[in-house]
Amino acid sequence: MDLEEIQAVWSEMSDQLKHQKKLTDKIILDMTQDRYTRKFRTISIAETFGAIICFIAALYMLFYFNTLDIWYLQVCGVLSIAFLIGLPIVTLRSLKNIQKINITEKNIKDTLISYSKAKNKVLMIQRLGIYLSFIFMMTCLPVFSKLMKGKDIFQQGTFPLWYVVIMGVFIALFARWGYACYKKTTNSAEALLKELELD
Amino acid sequence: MHKEEQFTTLIKKNEGIIFKITTLYTDHRDDQKDLYQDIVYQLWKSFDSFRNEAKISTWMYRIALNTALTRLKKRKRKPHEVGIDQVILEQTENDDPQFEERLKLVYAQIQNLNDLEKGIMLLLLEGKQYVEISLITGLTPTNVATRISRIKQKLKSQILKKQ
Repeated sequence: MDLEEIQAVWSEMSDQLKHQKKLTDKIILDMTQDRYTRKFRTISIAETFGAIICFIAALYMLFYFNTLDIWYLQVCGVLSIAFLIGLPIVTLRSLKNIQKINITEKNIKDTLISYSKAKNKVLMIQRLGIYLSFIFMMTCLPVFSKLMKGKDIFQQGTFPLWYVVIMGVFIALFARWGYACYKKTTNSAEALLKELELD
Repeated sequence: MHKEEQFTTLIKKNEGIIFKITTLYTDHRDDQKDLYQDIVYQLWKSFDSFRNEAKISTWMYRIALNTALTRLKKRKRKPHEVGIDQVILEQTENDDPQFEERLKLVYAQIQNLNDLEKGIMLLLLEGKQYVEISLITGLTPTNVATRISRIKQKLKSQILKKQ
């Protein structure tokens, strides 16, 4: 089958489609309902749920902040609160920015560029979140230990090694899985962009 | 005429365009239905801006192709299983088996191209000029010409392989 033949079959099909009306007004209007954001709904719900938990923990720390009576516990408390409030906000904002991309306003190349930029930002925030999680793991332990048990683990002299190992492995595995999920979706976009940049 | 009426008239008049694009960029019937709905939704979303634009086809192809390509990026896609038989049969309602067979061959040839080439090929088959293709894709007309020549080469080599 050569190109001319392909063109002939295509135009015959186009003629047939012109006379074939399947859609009704109702079907068309039903389709226009906001279903686009559904694609991001799962990830947004998960992130929002996580954010709520973080905010509750931050509020708990803020409420009992005066229990942290020594400067190093206060520093750990401030860092933990900043992490629990800051990271979810930045993550949710980056997700919102991706959802805001209007693919109807630009041509294909510009849309892909905007999409890729937004995705890269999301990935960068995810990477940052991974590194910060390890710091948070170290700062939140003394805070929770003081707030919940009244113990200052710095003065006890022994830092629970089992906690560092278990939490470290958990965070590393969880971060790897989460990041891979985000990363997977960007690969095809990058490939397409590279293709556009050729010539 | 209300905005809704204008929109539904426009979609009904051009539903063939959406059918063709959804067939090219999906492998399964359910997937095709989803993409179809996405495209109609995106067209509705930008319907106000269209009314200020000169050419309806440029607007429709641009949004439909953007939607299809963006959708591909958002999900992990399986390699093409070319499950297009059912899709094409549902689309054309043609009772000529020979034509159906040829149409399947046409889609199979285009399915072998990459995502962007598929879009360019579709626009070419729809009789679009290089300038309009460049407006829709964002590529320069020279770039469009180069890509079309490559697509033709690819198709030729596919045909030669089959012979």
